[in-house]
Amino acid sequence: MKLSIQTTREDQRIAWLAALAITIHIAESALPSPIPGIKPGLANIITIICLMQYGWRCAAWVATLRVLVGSILLGTFLSPSFVLSMSGAMASVIVLGLACRLPVEFSAVGYSLLAAMAHMSAQFFVAYSLFIPHQGLFHLLPILITVAIVFGIGSGIIANHILNRLREQQIES
Amino acid sequence: MTRADKVVIVLAVLLLPFLYIEFWGNRSQGEVVLIRSTNSEDTTLPLDQDKQLTIEGALGTSIIDIKDRQVRFIDSPCQGKQCVMAGWLNKDGQLAACLPNGVTVQIMGRDQRFDAVNF
Repeated sequence: MKLSIQTTREDQRIAWLAALAITIHIAESALPSPIPGIKPGLANIITIICLMQYGWRCAAWVATLRVLVGSILLGTFLSPSFVLSMSGAMASVIVLGLACRLPVEFSAVGYSLLAAMAHMSAQFFVAYSLFIPHQGLFHLLPILITVAIVFGIGSGIIANHILNRLREQQIES
Repeated sequence: MTRADKVVIVLAVLLLPFLYIEFWGNRSQGEVVLIRSTNSEDTTLPLDQDKQLTIEGALGTSIIDIKDRQVRFIDSPCQGKQCVMAGWLNKDGQLAACLPNGVTVQIMGRDQRFDAVNF
């Protein structure tokens, strides 16, 4: 007996984009990091592109799948680093959901910055409340937020370029 | 970039000085001296205000001196004078005690170097 699952076009699109995000996620995990928690977060570029091209639902799926599958492939599933990644991803998805319902218009840079800040803050407070409940951790917060702002704007600019190219291609074809 | 983007970027960047001042600037503000005595209530005093004070203990009066972000026992009505010989305390978590008189002095900081000290 042959089992088959009916997949919609959207399912396939989510799978493709999630695969792309997971690839970036894993490639990035090989980069050394000076302080735990400092990471460029390039996989979030994909989340932002999903949000702006296909809507919030797609972005939420891709972000969640990326963290889940990425952690299984890296062997960190259900470990503290998975909990941190997941809380960060959830927070940024929630913030993006709120931001795209606002009556103002953001570009990829704004979305990316908001997502990066939400990601970092959520990770920080989860790390503080679950894993390292020490006042000294707060000394790291200014550095972490600075890094989040820099990488958030950086990923936003990259996402903007990719979106422009995508739109050019869509017009050509 | 849209106007909303610029608003978000400006807000995020404005948050930074606040964070740096809050978490890096006034590190010393959290530093206080905790003085405990069997005969009177616990008192906490800021470490950056020079002061000499007398504390009533079980045997008599202990004299404690706060000066230049350091604290010490000047005198205590005990025999061994361990508390006086402990000298100046200036690090977070450091403690001097006059057990016969039931008076202890400890520096409480943001970054405690010790959880507890045994003598």
